[in-house]
Amino acid sequence: MTLLERRLRRRQLLRAGAAAAGALLLPGRAPAQGGAKPLSGTTLNIACWSSPYAKLLTDYVPQFEEATGAKVNYETPSFPIYNQRIDVELSTGGSSYDVLNVTFIYIGRWIGAGWFVPLDPYLKDPQKTPADWEPGDFLPGATAAFKDPSGRLYAIPWTADIYMAGAARYDLFEKSGKTMPDTFDGVADAMKAVHMKDGIPAFLPENHYGWSFIPWLQGFGGNVFRDPPEDLTPVLDTPEAIAAADFFAKLLRDYGPDGVISYTYDQVVATLKAGRANYSPNGQIFLVQMGAKDSKVAGTCNFSMCPAGPKGRFPGVATHGWGIPAGSKNKDAAWQFITWAMSKPIIRQMVVERGYSSITRRSLIDSPEFKGKLTINGHDIVKIYLDTIALGAQGYMKYRTIYVYPQVDKQIDIAIQNIASGQLSATAAMTQAQQDSLAELKRAGIKL
Amino acid sequence: MLAVQPSSIKRAAENRRPARTALPNWRREQRRAFTFGLLPALLVLVAITLGPTIYLIVTSLTPLDPVHPHSAADFSDPIGNYRALMADRRFLNSLEVQLKLSAATVVLQLAAGLGVALLLNAGSRFLEAVRTAFILPMVLPPIVVAVVWKVIFTPDVSPMHRALTAIGLPVHSLIANPDTALGAIAVADTWEWFPFTMLMVLASLQMIPAEPIDAARIDGAGRLALFRYILFPYIRPTLVVAGLFRLIDSIKAFPLIYVLTNGGPGTATEVTNYYAFVESFNFSYWGYGSAIATLMVAGVLLLSWLIGRLGVEAERDD
Repeated sequence: MTLLERRLRRRQLLRAGAAAAGALLLPGRAPAQGGAKPLSGTTLNIACWSSPYAKLLTDYVPQFEEATGAKVNYETPSFPIYNQRIDVELSTGGSSYDVLNVTFIYIGRWIGAGWFVPLDPYLKDPQKTPADWEPGDFLPGATAAFKDPSGRLYAIPWTADIYMAGAARYDLFEKSGKTMPDTFDGVADAMKAVHMKDGIPAFLPENHYGWSFIPWLQGFGGNVFRDPPEDLTPVLDTPEAIAAADFFAKLLRDYGPDGVISYTYDQVVATLKAGRANYSPNGQIFLVQMGAKDSKVAGTCNFSMCPAGPKGRFPGVATHGWGIPAGSKNKDAAWQFITWAMSKPIIRQMVVERGYSSITRRSLIDSPEFKGKLTINGHDIVKIYLDTIALGAQGYMKYRTIYVYPQVDKQIDIAIQNIASGQLSATAAMTQAQQDSLAELKRAGIKL
Repeated sequence: MLAVQPSSIKRAAENRRPARTALPNWRREQRRAFTFGLLPALLVLVAITLGPTIYLIVTSLTPLDPVHPHSAADFSDPIGNYRALMADRRFLNSLEVQLKLSAATVVLQLAAGLGVALLLNAGSRFLEAVRTAFILPMVLPPIVVAVVWKVIFTPDVSPMHRALTAIGLPVHSLIANPDTALGAIAVADTWEWFPFTMLMVLASLQMIPAEPIDAARIDGAGRLALFRYILFPYIRPTLVVAGLFRLIDSIKAFPLIYVLTNGGPGTATEVTNYYAFVESFNFSYWGYGSAIATLMVAGVLLLSWLIGRLGVEAERDD
């Protein structure tokens, strides 16, 4: 190697290093320095399930590509397809993806199996994470879900979704002399009053009952496992669980639209926005879309906390986060993407420009921009959001990150469908769910 | 009792065996060329079909779960998965659902395919155009067909439900009702695949010589008699083959179930391959899922053999 060649290489290295440092120091802003793009020639493969956030992010990804020179292949399949595909990808040690969403119900499985890398080395390295990125700004409850028992963090939460309730046609409630119900009995009473008013069916949760039914199960005093994570014995056939299933399925059967058990989360959102169903207990990220510009019910919708049952109020709190799969060949570039996507400027931009509502940075939750965007049809969602997150910190969501929860989740889906469609009584359906859950857990090698 | 000498047996065998004559050189060369020519194709065939099948069977003898990679080599209870399957309520239910769906789809598709083929069996440009239109469902990607039927079966947005309501015959959701969900899938599957039977029967009808038809007509045979005594005997082997293909394909029904019902309501439409999918890819019990798949392969092979025998016997009777 000649001296000139050596100098050239040294210069190239210095230039690339300076550009990379610039990129890292300015997440959320243009990281390119001096015309050089630090990730030129790098292709990042990124995937997340088709949440409203993930779809919003699609429009911002070109900013990252422009600033860094990276090419991003970004995909957002539906929730079940994403989970199935990524589970196979991760379990076979694949290296197809560089940044992946760590799905809430798969946290125990994916992180427990070592399929994601810990992010602490990146967070502690000031060369890779600038001080003003403030990892401590994320909601502690959301980040806690992505930590292993030794406290290592595996994902940066992009959402803290809460289970709440929304009415698309609150005007029909008012005409019937009802307000947003605060208890399960209140829901039954209100549904009876507003069902088929203006031809609109009253009650429409999504058909993923392993999510939408659990607050009702816990509200009646039941649970999924006896004492997670220590005792994973399913308790789906207790009198409380049977009563909850009976109550919930009756709401579906009596006040749901025709074919209510076939409505997926995206269908529920479309139906509510079109004003073809009224009241929905659901995730905040879905319900706030009733206030969107293309919604027919933006002027009639109303919101409330998840109603309380006889044993209390247990609204679901879910989180999902960006992680780096162990098989990624571009881990540093992947971290750059995560720091950019979760930087304050980008999230603020998404809040201000697109009304993104399920954020995890406390400083932005407290900001006037966020409060302004989360006041929909005059109703303050921020208070519901913060109160629900505070409730979630009590620990009743522990069942959800158990690594065999997906198996039980499916049994709950089947049980509620069996009851709502009249195939089985609540007792028979929940007993069957209990037996099938036990069989699945035994298959997973769990000693009960 | 006569004692049979081994030497006499050997002699008799040699007498029966044709005298071995040396093959001419060109034949030997030809055989070698065939062998070497076929070898790469055979190796590829083994690699892409036999290899995975053997791996499937081997995996079915383990409790493989990718969270525990060492389980791939755990043969401590090789028939454990099969034993568990025999006591698995959902698996046994899935077999019953599969049988119902297969019976319904094969019968409907043979009936619809045969009926439409008989209607289109004439030489006219208009009918040729209609034939092409009928083939469309079969060439659509299965997921598109599933989405089309999802719209048709969702009362909220369905033109079919709206039309039925408009004429005073409202119908509740067919896919959310356990009594009708499987039938709804059978109808959608029939719409997609009856053109296959139609094409085969049409080809068979057009191969029938004109003489026996003309002779029967001269003898005064009506349409029904013509079909029963002339057309049907000709097309029967074709119907058997079409039925076999459709039967095997019915066992692979997946996109319609995945999109329309997800196996529900409850497990009302959970066929065996869907259950294998759930166990393998929702729960990651790959060993267990492989055992289900292995039983399905065995079932399909047995069915193919049985129906093949039926077809041969039918031809022999003719």
